[in-house]
Amino acid sequence: MNDPMRAYRARRDASRRTVVSKYQILGFISSGTYGRVYKAQSSDDGKIHAIKKFKPDKEGDVITYTGISQSAIREIALNREISHENVVALKEVILEEKSIYMVFEYAEHDFLQVIHHHSQVQRGQIPPAVLKSLIYQLLNGLVYLHSCHILHRDLKPANILITSVGVVKIADLGLARLIYQPLQALFVGDKVVVTIWYRAPELLMGAKHYNKAVDCWAVGCVMAELASLRPIFKGEEAKLDSKKNVPFQKDQLLRIFEVLGTPKESDWPGVVNMPEYHNMKRLDPFEDRLANWCRPTNGLPVRVDSEQGYSLLRGLFAYDPDQRLTAKDALQHKWFHEDPLPTWNAFETATNKQIPPHRRITQDEAPSMLPVQTNQTQAQAPVQTHAQAQAHISKSASSASFTSLSGGGYAGGQSGSGGHAPTKKKARVG
Amino acid sequence: MATDFWASSHYKRWIVDRATLRQARADDLLYVDDPEYLDFLAIFFANVISKLGKKLLLRQRVIATATVFFRRFYLKNSYCETDPFIVIAACCYVAAKAEESPAHIKNVVTEARSLFSSENYGIKHFPSDNSKLAEMEFYLVDDLECDLTIFHPYRTLMTLCRKEGTSDDDDAEAGELGVGIESGPRYWGNGDGQLELQEGALQMAWFIINDTYRSELCLLYPPHLIAIAAIYLTLVLHVPTRATIQAQSQAEPETPTLQPRRRSSRQASNASAPSNINQKKSNQDIIGFFAELNVSMPLIATIAQEIISLYALWDRYKEDGNVETAKNSFPAQTASPYTPGTGSKRTLSGTSRSGSLNSGSGGETPIEGGEDNEDNVVTPAILMALLMKMKENRAADVAHPASGRPVAVNKMLERTQLSG
Repeated sequence: MNDPMRAYRARRDASRRTVVSKYQILGFISSGTYGRVYKAQSSDDGKIHAIKKFKPDKEGDVITYTGISQSAIREIALNREISHENVVALKEVILEEKSIYMVFEYAEHDFLQVIHHHSQVQRGQIPPAVLKSLIYQLLNGLVYLHSCHILHRDLKPANILITSVGVVKIADLGLARLIYQPLQALFVGDKVVVTIWYRAPELLMGAKHYNKAVDCWAVGCVMAELASLRPIFKGEEAKLDSKKNVPFQKDQLLRIFEVLGTPKESDWPGVVNMPEYHNMKRLDPFEDRLANWCRPTNGLPVRVDSEQGYSLLRGLFAYDPDQRLTAKDALQHKWFHEDPLPTWNAFETATNKQIPPHRRITQDEAPSMLPVQTNQTQAQAPVQTHAQAQAHISKSASSASFTSLSGGGYAGGQSGSGGHAPTKKKARVG
Repeated sequence: MATDFWASSHYKRWIVDRATLRQARADDLLYVDDPEYLDFLAIFFANVISKLGKKLLLRQRVIATATVFFRRFYLKNSYCETDPFIVIAACCYVAAKAEESPAHIKNVVTEARSLFSSENYGIKHFPSDNSKLAEMEFYLVDDLECDLTIFHPYRTLMTLCRKEGTSDDDDAEAGELGVGIESGPRYWGNGDGQLELQEGALQMAWFIINDTYRSELCLLYPPHLIAIAAIYLTLVLHVPTRATIQAQSQAEPETPTLQPRRRSSRQASNASAPSNINQKKSNQDIIGFFAELNVSMPLIATIAQEIISLYALWDRYKEDGNVETAKNSFPAQTASPYTPGTGSKRTLSGTSRSGSLNSGSGGETPIEGGEDNEDNVVTPAILMALLMKMKENRAADVAHPASGRPVAVNKMLERTQLSG
C-alpha cells in the first residue's frame, strides 16, 4: 500500500523497448538549451534518425523528475499532429529513465551550413536556382504550419534543414504555438520569441499581440541572408534586466532602419500605438534603401538581381504586420514563376562542390546519451555540466542554437507528392 | 491541425467503440457487484478533476482536456491496479501545459493534497514531493502516446451558435476564449448558418457539454457531434426557448421562412452583417439549421439519449453541491422522463448492504436494501470505500494467483445467472 503505482510502473517499464535496443547511436550532432541531438541508426530497418534528448532535470547530483518542460510538451504535442513534406517528421517519442527522446527523420544539411559553405568554402554566392528552391520549399512548409494555426516563432537558418536530396524541412517546434483560440494571450506565455536577428519589428516595438506575420518577417531575413551570406539585420541584443523586463531593442531596430528606413505612420498606422513608439522616435531617422541593398552601387556584388525577387523581399519586409505578405501570398509570388524555376530537389542544378558536406558528428560525446548502467549518476553528471555550459553559450550567441537537428532525405523526398495539402474534408459522419 | 479534426490524433487514434470500452473495464468489473458502479465512478472522477481544476484556477477547456486524458489513460489501465488520484493530479498538470496555461507543479501537489485529504476522499497518503507527480506525468504522457491535442465540443458550440443580438465576431462567450482568436473553417458539413440562442440557452448548452465529461462520451463520439447533441437538447430543455419555438410553430405553421442565414455563401462573405442582429429570433428556421449541418440526425439522437441516461444515473448520485451542471436548470417536469421506470431499476445491493461502506456520507444516507427502495443513492464515501475494496481484492488476487481464487470469476457468473 506504500506505493499504489508500483505494479503499474513495473508493467509499463517491462513493456517498453529501450532506446538502445531500438537505435544504435552513431554520434553527437549538436546541443542547445533544451538538450542534445544525436545521429542514430534504427536497429529495425537501418534508417538514419536524429534523436533529440531533452536535458534531464537535476536536483543536486541526483537526477529526478521535475516535470516535462513546457517547450517539450509543446514540441511533442504539435509534432504528433502534423505531417508535411517540408516539416521535419517525428517518428516516435521514447520516455525512458526520466529522459525524453524524440526520434526525428534525419536531414543531412541545414540553411546555416549552406550559408557557411558558400561564404567560407566556396567563397561565392548561392546559385539563384538553389536559393529560390530553398525559399520556395520553406514557404511551402510554412503555409502548412500556418494553415494548422501554428506559429513557428523561431525560424532561422539553423532551424531549417535540408535532406541529402534537397528537400527543405522546417525543424524545432520548441517555441511554436497553436494560435487557435488560445486561453491566454501569446505574450503571457513567452515574453521573448524569435532570435533577435530574425525578430519582426512589431515584436521589437513591444507588441503584446502578434500573429503569423512574425514568421513571414523571419522568412524575409532568411532569404536576405541566403542572398548575402550574412544576417541582414545583425543587431546586438539588449539583455533582460534584473526584473526580467524586456528592454528596448535599440540596436536591432537601428539595423533594420538602416536598410528599410524609419517606419512611417503612413506605412504602418499601428506604429503609434506600440509600447516602444516613443523610444523609437528618439532614434536617428533613416531612409529606405532596400533597393540599394539588393543591388549595391558601391562595388559590392549584387544580392538580389531580379525585380521580382526584390518585390518579394519588400513584401516580406512590410513594416505593418497586416500588410506583410502572408506565407500563402509569398508562395504564389511572381518570382517563383520566372526563371530559374524552383525545384523539389533544391540541389538539382547545383554542382557537387556547391552542395555542402555532410553533417559532422563527433564520437567523443556519443556515449553520454545514455547513462552507463553500472554507475548512473556519476556517468551523467559531467554531461549535465556540459549541457548547461552549452546552453549558456547558445543563449548569448543567438543564432547558434542547437536546433540543427535533422530530418531525413531518403524517405523519398523527391517530389511534392507526399506534401499534405491541408484540405477540408467533408462530412464523414453518420 | 487545429482545424483539421479528420487529420488529428484525436480522430485517428482516440475515438473508440463500446467493445473497447468494455474491454478496458474488464478487470475492474471483476471487483464490483454491479457494473453500474463503474458509471458512477466515471461521474465521481470527473467531479474530482473538476474540483481540482477549479482550485488550480484552470479554465473549463483545460479541465475538459484533463478529463479526456484521464479517460484515455483508463482505456489502457484499470482503477483497481492504479491510484486514480495521482493520475488525476497528473492529468490536470499535463492538461494545463498542453493548453498553454501551465500551473506550477508545487501548486498542483499542494492543492491535490489538500483536496484529496478532505472529508470526501480522506486520502492521507498523497505524496507531498513534486517528483512523485512528475514521475506520474511521465508515465501518463507515455500512456497517452504523446497525443496531447484535444478537440472539444465548446468550439463547435461557439461556431454554431451565438447569443441573441451579437454579431458573428463576438464569440468571446462565457469568458472562455482568449484574445487573438483566429476563426477557422468548420471541419465538416457545409452550412455556415448560425443559430441565435437566448443567453440562458447558450449557457445551458455549454453546461450540458461540461456534463458530458461525466461519462465516456468523449471517447465514443467526435466532439462536434456531442456539441450538436447538446444544442439539440437545449432547444428542448430550455424553457423559454422551447416556448418560443412552440409559439412559432403554432403561429406560422404553413410558411417555412427561408432565412438569409441559410444561404450560406453570401452569409459567409459578410461575416458580421449587422442585418442579422435585427432579425427576430422567432423567425429562425431551426429544422433547416440542423439539416444544413449535414450530420446524421439519428446519431445525434443517440448521443442525446446517452446524455439523458447520464442524467438519470446522475440523479442517483449525491455529492455536496459545488458542481455546475445544466441538470439543475432543467424544468421539473422534464426531469422526470429521464428517471427510468421503477421496475427496470436495479438495486445497488451488493456493496451498500455491507453496512460499513455507508458511513460518513455527507447528506442523505442510503437506505438499506429495501426491496421497493429504488432511490438508493450513491455517494463519494461509498465509491471511495468501493475503490479501496477493489484495490485490496485485486492485490489479494495478484498475490495468490495459483490458488485460483474463484471469487472474482464467480461475481461475473453470479451476474450472468441473475440476468439470465
